[in-house]
Amino acid sequence: MTTNPIDRASRNRRRRTALLAGAVGLTLTASACGGGGAGDGGDLTAPGADVLKDHDGVVEVEFWHSMETTNGKVLEALIDEFNKENEGKIKVNPSFQGIYDDTLAKYRGAVQKGDTPELVQIYDIGTRFMIDAKQAIPAQSFVDKDKYDDSKLEEGLRNYYTVDGELQAFPFNSSTPLLYINKDAFKKAGLDPEKPPKTLEEVREYSEKLTEKDGSKVEQYGLGAAMYGWFIEQFKARAGESYCNKGNGREGLATEVTYDEGTAVEVVDWWKGMLDDGYAVNVGRKTEDSQAAFNSGRAAMTLDSTSALGAILDQADFEVGTGYFPLANDGDPGGSIIGGASLWINGPGHEQVEQRASWEFVKFLLSPEAQSKWHAGTGYLSVNTDGYEQPEAKEQTEKFPQSTTALDQLRETKPNEATAGCLLGVMSEGRMANEEGWERAVTADGADPQEELTKSAKKMQGSIAKYNESIDN
Amino acid sequence: MTSSVDAGRSAPGEGPQRAAGNRRKWTGEHTLAWAFLAPSVLVFAVFLIYPLLYTVYLSMHGNDIVGNPSTFVGLDQFAEMMTPEFAKIFANTLLFTVGTVAPGVAGALLIVLLLEARIRGRRVFRTGFALPFAFSVASASVVFSVFYNPASGVLNGILYRFDLPPVEWLTSQDLAMWSIILTTVWMNLGYGVLVLSAGLGAIQPDIIEAARIDGATGHRLSWHILVPLLGPQLFFLIVLSTINALQGFGQIHILTKGGPADETTTLVYSIYQEAFATGSANFGGASAQALVLFLIVLVCTAVQFGVIERKVHYS
Repeated sequence: MTTNPIDRASRNRRRRTALLAGAVGLTLTASACGGGGAGDGGDLTAPGADVLKDHDGVVEVEFWHSMETTNGKVLEALIDEFNKENEGKIKVNPSFQGIYDDTLAKYRGAVQKGDTPELVQIYDIGTRFMIDAKQAIPAQSFVDKDKYDDSKLEEGLRNYYTVDGELQAFPFNSSTPLLYINKDAFKKAGLDPEKPPKTLEEVREYSEKLTEKDGSKVEQYGLGAAMYGWFIEQFKARAGESYCNKGNGREGLATEVTYDEGTAVEVVDWWKGMLDDGYAVNVGRKTEDSQAAFNSGRAAMTLDSTSALGAILDQADFEVGTGYFPLANDGDPGGSIIGGASLWINGPGHEQVEQRASWEFVKFLLSPEAQSKWHAGTGYLSVNTDGYEQPEAKEQTEKFPQSTTALDQLRETKPNEATAGCLLGVMSEGRMANEEGWERAVTADGADPQEELTKSAKKMQGSIAKYNESIDN
Repeated sequence: MTSSVDAGRSAPGEGPQRAAGNRRKWTGEHTLAWAFLAPSVLVFAVFLIYPLLYTVYLSMHGNDIVGNPSTFVGLDQFAEMMTPEFAKIFANTLLFTVGTVAPGVAGALLIVLLLEARIRGRRVFRTGFALPFAFSVASASVVFSVFYNPASGVLNGILYRFDLPPVEWLTSQDLAMWSIILTTVWMNLGYGVLVLSAGLGAIQPDIIEAARIDGATGHRLSWHILVPLLGPQLFFLIVLSTINALQGFGQIHILTKGGPADETTTLVYSIYQEAFATGSANFGGASAQALVLFLIVLVCTAVQFGVIERKVHYS
């Protein structure tokens, strides 16, 4: 009777050891058999409106996205609206694929199998990969075919998604980072809640006043923000610096990241000082944790995306204020990168009617009406500048004046190389390496920010070279 | 002692031995045996042998940007592992494994033995202690991430009540791994309690009765009678939790994502990062690491079977 568990143990062992080795292999075998692959896409031009007109029956569009909870619901409502309007002609089937990283990983598998969805939402930092994978029809092709007026799309977004003189994808959801403040804590500390700090120096000065200590106990920290790589990208852009070489990867394939230079090092240095002196709490890399710290009143300021505004207003039981994302140094030109995520219509493996139907849906999502609802429902910016004239957006502005901060910040952005953002095939790995260096620098005693960031940047050179080589082949 | 082990495990071993004796004759019995074995052999081939060989193949090739194997690189991917960073990952994996297996098994044993005492409501306790088993890794990790939040977490809230300074559970390089180990031990405890309770229940009461009559009580009874009799279950738990620890992923992914500064990056997490988490789709490098992990699990399990199982008493 006692032999049972041992039998099971040995069986389990065998099964598990092999499963383990098989796990990675299996995923690959499944996907590698289908052939396909990058680059053999063939014709990547947009079909005209006639293909859809001449088609009988319903065209189905599979749409992979990464919008969950509130944002996901608002998106589903928009899709329902579109499907109703186009009943009997087009049906969009949304399919949630997990966070942006997951969607990109799954999309990569789909390319291997030659089984991509008609339409996919990919985050800004996947742009270079999407171009190199040669699966999507460049947005410019649709714009040209229909003489679509893309001047209504936010300039900064066109700036981001224009590569080699052509619009590559259609921006759909875009956000910028903000400084969130607890107005009640500001008042208590004798600070003007209508004047959030503008520079890192001021954030520190304010934090010194906002931090409440009782012996070794900290009642309230000045700042509780996540070490999110996106922030470093923004600090650099606001300082007018590129994040990678070759003109932020826009004059050719970038070969190096530059977060071991200038502003990035200063920011990490500053961050370390804030933590060491007890004016900030280290919440790690996840914004959920910094939101928890801020919403519970334990940190009087935080950094987060505009798309978090809804959730923060929901959960905080104090008055929330918003300010521009701080400048690393007084006198920096400002502005921000507004990538967000964009929509890519796939060419290879899809019929022209499906491509055309996808485009009709994209046009709907970019319309002022849809963007107004999207903006009001989620906190994302309206990618269509006319979206703000619509009733939902106007009502939102009246109800939550905080939501205009992001727009003002965005409008002050001068489109240039720095604010266009870095294009890098392995950008998500680059961001992660940046976060790791940042974390190493602030969490180890005596660590030197410059040294740690250099280590991260050096590590990336190999990955970037590997990526660039694999496209040349 | 060894004979009883053989008796317990002879069933799978006997067939081949007998077959070896009569190698020259291929009887209908053999054909029938292979016919019965065929489905499992096929499943093994498709789901075990082929992926394993394919992993070897992938580990020796580079990748294009979507992850298809490209040029042959020989053992380069293995050579690339010879870095201090990878040594660190190795050390993390070792710490995580030892740190979760030892207290996990010992803790479960202690709980089960304490519950042997005739206390009121021991069934309730036993169920309570087995409860963590009902939690999935993901939900348990999410709950713990709420506990661990540096500013608003439950644990720091308790410290605050007692006028103690806050602790950086997951964001300090020194503590993060221990916090994950704590979470994992808690998650494994339920299963351990379940298995050991079942083992204890299966011990024939007359053995315990006899020991009591001989004067063995309290820790003597536990240590000299019950623990040896629980040998098979303990061995099973050690093997299984070692394998589980070497494959631990969910709690690391949810609590720290391998940070801070790679302090909680174990081998499995590193494989995941290479293959899926970043934009590089480095399936070749990930496969090479997967093979290393495969070897480690193989060696660990073999050693455990070689060393510990000899001391196990199967009644």
